[in-house]
Amino acid sequence: MSQHSLVELAQSRVAVHAEAAVEAADGRLGYLRREGLREFVRMGIPTTRHEEWKYTNVFPFIGQDFTYRPTHWGSVSAQNTMPASAKEIASALGQHVSVRIVDGCVIVDDSTLPSGVEIIELTPELVENDAAIAGALGSGAPMNTHPFVALNTALLESGVVLRIGKDVRVEPPIHVSIETSDSTSPTLITPRLLVIAEQGAEVDIVQSHHVFGEATVLDATVVEFVVSAMAHIRYFKIADDADAARSISSVSADVHRDATFTSHALSIGGRFVRNDLALRLCEPSSQGFLFGVSLLADHEYTDNHTVVDHMVPHCHSEELYKGIYDGSSTGVFNGKIYVRPQAQKTTAYQSNHTLLLSSKAQVQAKPQLEIWADDVKCSHGATMGQVDEEAIFYFRSRGIDKDTAKALLTYAFITEVVEKISLDGLRELLTRRIARKLSTDTLLS
Amino acid sequence: MTPLLQISNLHASIDDREILKGINLTVNAGEIHAIMGPNGSGKSTLASVLAGREDYTVTAGSVVFQGKELLDLVPEERSREGLFLAFQYPVEIPGVSTANFVKTAVNEVRKHRGQEPLDPAAFLALMRERMALVEMDPSFLQRSLNEGFSGGEKKRNEVFQMAMLDPVLSVLDETDSGLDIDALRIVASGVNALRRSDNATIVITHYQRLLDHIVPDFVHVLWNGRIVKSGDKSLALELEQRGYDWLKQEAAVEA
Repeated sequence: MSQHSLVELAQSRVAVHAEAAVEAADGRLGYLRREGLREFVRMGIPTTRHEEWKYTNVFPFIGQDFTYRPTHWGSVSAQNTMPASAKEIASALGQHVSVRIVDGCVIVDDSTLPSGVEIIELTPELVENDAAIAGALGSGAPMNTHPFVALNTALLESGVVLRIGKDVRVEPPIHVSIETSDSTSPTLITPRLLVIAEQGAEVDIVQSHHVFGEATVLDATVVEFVVSAMAHIRYFKIADDADAARSISSVSADVHRDATFTSHALSIGGRFVRNDLALRLCEPSSQGFLFGVSLLADHEYTDNHTVVDHMVPHCHSEELYKGIYDGSSTGVFNGKIYVRPQAQKTTAYQSNHTLLLSSKAQVQAKPQLEIWADDVKCSHGATMGQVDEEAIFYFRSRGIDKDTAKALLTYAFITEVVEKISLDGLRELLTRRIARKLSTDTLLS
Repeated sequence: MTPLLQISNLHASIDDREILKGINLTVNAGEIHAIMGPNGSGKSTLASVLAGREDYTVTAGSVVFQGKELLDLVPEERSREGLFLAFQYPVEIPGVSTANFVKTAVNEVRKHRGQEPLDPAAFLALMRERMALVEMDPSFLQRSLNEGFSGGEKKRNEVFQMAMLDPVLSVLDETDSGLDIDALRIVASGVNALRRSDNATIVITHYQRLLDHIVPDFVHVLWNGRIVKSGDKSLALELEQRGYDWLKQEAAVEA
């Protein structure tokens, strides 16, 4: 089968789902679905000739006969057992608000919902009756440029709206656990989240993905954030390390006056992880902090594509991504920063550092800064290398063997980013996972 | 008495350039030896070769340390056997705390000696006690190793590590470089406090001033890859007054 017919296959399968959806559609949601379908058909499945998908090759798995698990809402009584990997995160978070999406079925534990936090089913009625939601939905996600955002939107029948009320500071983090359990046939899921932090609200959102079947799961999750004036959102995306997971996740955030959006893209493994993060600093004094950790081995793959758009003056962004690649793993970092002509007094810093532990590991790093304003402070730095030999010798001269020295130095390299995780339980969990993967756990106890 | 360290006819080169051209040196337990010499004479090379830095190739000779051929051991084994090198330029290690580093090192050495790892409380107490030797504030324990330390703090940290590892033979490679007089006094008093009848120290230095504080039993002058003169501490004073040129001439005549 040629690549071309694979594209047609995928398109026609999607078209069947999407057309069924289109028939029943009306209003804003129906419009978005039709637009999503149109854009998806126009763009098609991206090939590696596409600049943005140069290293992310979806063709090895995209032609499979996927069973689609549409997003829908279930009740808490339908709750089945959480997989161990999700439980580990849930317990690390301590007291938290639980939102699970299990094979497309959304399960919200209302009993843990703090006042001022709404977790609502995304329905056509909701979109028609709530101007804020209608305005936000689909406004940030890059449906016109990202084929899988278009796919997700074409299939947008239901979803989750998370709304944090004005000045509400949510103490427990919200854990969104996206789980897929089918072990017999390849599965497609397209979870969709809209998070609205109203003025002055503050919340931590931990999103984790879990595949515990054997068959391939194509997970095309789209999350949109609206960070209203003076609101603060801290978002943590934890990749699944299951071999069957194919995660293509798109996150967008509109950040308003004096608001902050902080993101952590945490990949401690993962056979195929593609993270797109688009940040728009759309009102003065808004800030964005983007952190990323990729610790890969074997044939693992993580691709981080970030866009920070400085649209107005006096905004600040900071980006720090670090990757460690062992075995035959591959990492990609593509970081764009736009500073629009009117965005004077912008400060934007980006850095991306890589350690290669194996001669077969690869990394592709591409910083892209487009600066049209003249009174700005922007910088980017990228380094790539091996563990410092002089440092290894220093360790060895103190009785620490070479492998342990390397592991400790590798661990130290990534620590700088892990320390930015503000949730203590989550930071400790990630630290443990990293130590386990680097076999330094016995040393750092 | 078997010497602690016996260096015989040691030749070493880097990038096919011979730096050490036949070093002979015997160090017994309880002794302090100073190795002096002008820049480029091979002082730091000798320290590096003893510690096992892989940039250097030993082309001839032997180094017997407590009855074992040191040159057959990898650097970490040399350390576990009781050799300690205080670096001229201690390496900054962001992300590894001083406490974790020292704990890992000490436990490696203890494992080698067949001892159990120290329990955390005993370890912390020991670290605090040994830090006091070099007047280091305990807050350094949680800081990344050497990162952002001043020159003096780095050298004090070296002596602190030495105190924790309790080596049989310490090699101090230009530990006095970059130190002001107060730091020099602190570092030297730390080294002196660790002096025992069953260990030994080789002090590599450019200047006599360190030897006012760490008083050597023997002074050796290294020039052009060989020890060209040995004597007692008065030799250091003579060098201070006369410089090295007279020795170079003597050595040239002998060669």
